[in-house]
Amino acid sequence: MPESLAATRDALAGLIPVSIVTGFLGAGKTTLVNRLLKRPEMNRVAVIVNELGEIGVDNDLVQVSSEQMMLLNNGCLCCVLRGDLQETLRDLFIKRRNGEIIDYDRVVIETTGLADPAPVMQTLLTDSMLRDQYRLDCVVTLVDAVNAPGQLDQFSEPVKQVALADRLIVTKSDLAAEQPLAALMERLHEINPRAPLRHATNGDIELAFLVDVGLRRRHADLEEVERWLGAEGDEGGAHGHRHDENVQSFVLRFEQPMAWATFTQCMDVLTALRGPDLLRVKGLVNVEEKAGPMVVQGVQHLFHPPLELAAWPSADHSTRLVFITRGIPRQVVSDLFAAIGAVGAH
Amino acid sequence: MAAEGTLRPGGGAAQLALNMKLIGHHELAGFGGVGEGINLQKAKDGRRILWMAHESAPKNFTAVDVTDPRNPKLVVQTDLPHNDVRSNSLDVVGDIMAVAYQTKKWGLKPAGMDLFDISTPEKPKLISHFDASGPCSRGAHCVFFVDGEYVHLTSGSADFEPTNPKDDQFYRIIDVRNPSRPTEVGRWWYPGTRKGDSAPPPPRHPKFDGGYRPHNTNSYPQKPDRVYIGYIDGGVWILDISNKSKPKPVGHLQYSPPYNGFSHTVLPLIERGYLIVSDECVRDNGEDWPKPTWVVDARVESNLVPIAMFPLPPAEIFTKRGGRYGSHNLHENQPGPCSFRSETLIFGTYFNGGVRAFDVSNPMQPKEVGYFVPATPKLAPKGSAQINDVWVDENRTVYAVDRFGGGLYTLETTF
Repeated sequence: MPESLAATRDALAGLIPVSIVTGFLGAGKTTLVNRLLKRPEMNRVAVIVNELGEIGVDNDLVQVSSEQMMLLNNGCLCCVLRGDLQETLRDLFIKRRNGEIIDYDRVVIETTGLADPAPVMQTLLTDSMLRDQYRLDCVVTLVDAVNAPGQLDQFSEPVKQVALADRLIVTKSDLAAEQPLAALMERLHEINPRAPLRHATNGDIELAFLVDVGLRRRHADLEEVERWLGAEGDEGGAHGHRHDENVQSFVLRFEQPMAWATFTQCMDVLTALRGPDLLRVKGLVNVEEKAGPMVVQGVQHLFHPPLELAAWPSADHSTRLVFITRGIPRQVVSDLFAAIGAVGAH
Repeated sequence: MAAEGTLRPGGGAAQLALNMKLIGHHELAGFGGVGEGINLQKAKDGRRILWMAHESAPKNFTAVDVTDPRNPKLVVQTDLPHNDVRSNSLDVVGDIMAVAYQTKKWGLKPAGMDLFDISTPEKPKLISHFDASGPCSRGAHCVFFVDGEYVHLTSGSADFEPTNPKDDQFYRIIDVRNPSRPTEVGRWWYPGTRKGDSAPPPPRHPKFDGGYRPHNTNSYPQKPDRVYIGYIDGGVWILDISNKSKPKPVGHLQYSPPYNGFSHTVLPLIERGYLIVSDECVRDNGEDWPKPTWVVDARVESNLVPIAMFPLPPAEIFTKRGGRYGSHNLHENQPGPCSFRSETLIFGTYFNGGVRAFDVSNPMQPKEVGYFVPATPKLAPKGSAQINDVWVDENRTVYAVDRFGGGLYTLETTF
């Protein structure tokens, strides 16, 4: 019997994946959601939107609806965000369990354009009831090719939206001139070099690009781990010195196992002193005397409780930590690990 | 516009599932009412045969080939001699199957237990009948048979006259090492339930007098000196059976009243020292709610402490779905090649709440990790599915059965 079917539960495998669709005003989130809703493979997906009316789904696609929800012919449920996200996600799960709504097996959340995605992500990492039922699968950030350059200069939210993304979708590329578009692509890469990027016109994007990004089982293979951690390369580099509030993305690698206390103490110091600037941390930690790597992920000052993978996905057992920070250089974090745990990064 | 909160196709009778996926279904040739006997045999030819005792006459038991659980095939279905007897319970060890027989009234036959040779599943051969009939006996309600040597039987007998008619069955240990001559080697009953006992008869449950009888009597090869008994209104008992001729109580837990009685199955988590105890819901429409599944700390057998209940979906919704809603049977970590065993993952049946799985890694905070509630079966007399019993195999494929007409559901788990 494969170990995944062993006598204990796989703490990741039974959780409902959540994708967050974010992007600044006018980036095309509603267009994307509207297109997604019409696809046949969107059955058993619950989509949380800001307003049902804005989505503009044709009446003939709607099977039943209430003020807060509508069920579409393809089996997709569309639901309005009410109160806060925590309440909406809890309510959806309770209704699902009570048999009052469809047995959705995926959630897509459309944030408002001005939203900082960090609190949305933190809700999934830290609410103990939600954590038992859901897992953060993917943050998808839409970027308007025409207006983004100005927005990135003027506002902090779009920079953060790009920095926190697992996937980037550039919209309206057909309306942008070649040179500014190239400059935008370079800038996006500087802010978030590890997030794969696609262009989409009128919300036309493969569902596969947006789903199954997060780790979804304790027996994750190498491909799954790499898909989650993002593209390899630029391991030691730092980016973004010219623009964008000094957003930096870097990877720390440690060849030797470390004590779990070393990792937690480093993160405690970082979050205490620079929590708001520690935009995102994710990775695998080789902890002394553990058979598999510990999966860690945090957004600013909040971290998901660590999970141990069943085994290392490859012969490479080094700790790999991806950091996206605002103004915290690689050297500072690396020095911290050296000071606290006497472990050297490279 | 539909009222908010009812946005699903087909209304409340549609299938509900989380982390359990329906992969096969068999209506058992129109006799889809299964009791609480279900066991998976690995036949000598390699086939995997699921044996099920029916809840009531006219059928006795049915075998289905589940080698491919997506495509279950009927192998054999047998009849009872008359309609005033039910089989209800069976167990399989190797090629021997024990089947219980309980009659509707005292004094009828057959009442007791049959042993069958099922080496050719298509042709079960009767090896012997253990007669438990008597003037005050309905025979046997439940068998627990896992070691090939002893059947732990819930049964009356010809020489047992109860102080209350509802207390007519007790715990009997039947030596079947020679399967053609099953022989009682030990017995135990709740003090005061037999005429002539020095103890006074126990008090009746004030609201729901279910009786003082054992239901499940579980004993495992890895702890052969213990039997764990759900004694209906008598609560939970642990007996020391190191001397089978003189079972001796070592632990007792009584939580009813204030709870509503009918302690049903006591599943020991032997390595960890906990018990999972399911009560049985025996009334429709929530009349006897709550019927919990408990986690009991049994690290000190003489001081059993309930520490948690499994989190079940809200009674105010499920008790209105028709029929019974509450705990009933558990998958019991049986030994054998085709059985799932876990000290942390527990599968139970909840009538219209379907089959549900729980993680008890933290015994004080059991978590629900999956469930499957079938869509209402055709012609369902209660207007809902009534999932009665469950078997889980070593691949974690789940076999859940309906009490009335739904038959067998095979399910994959994804947690």
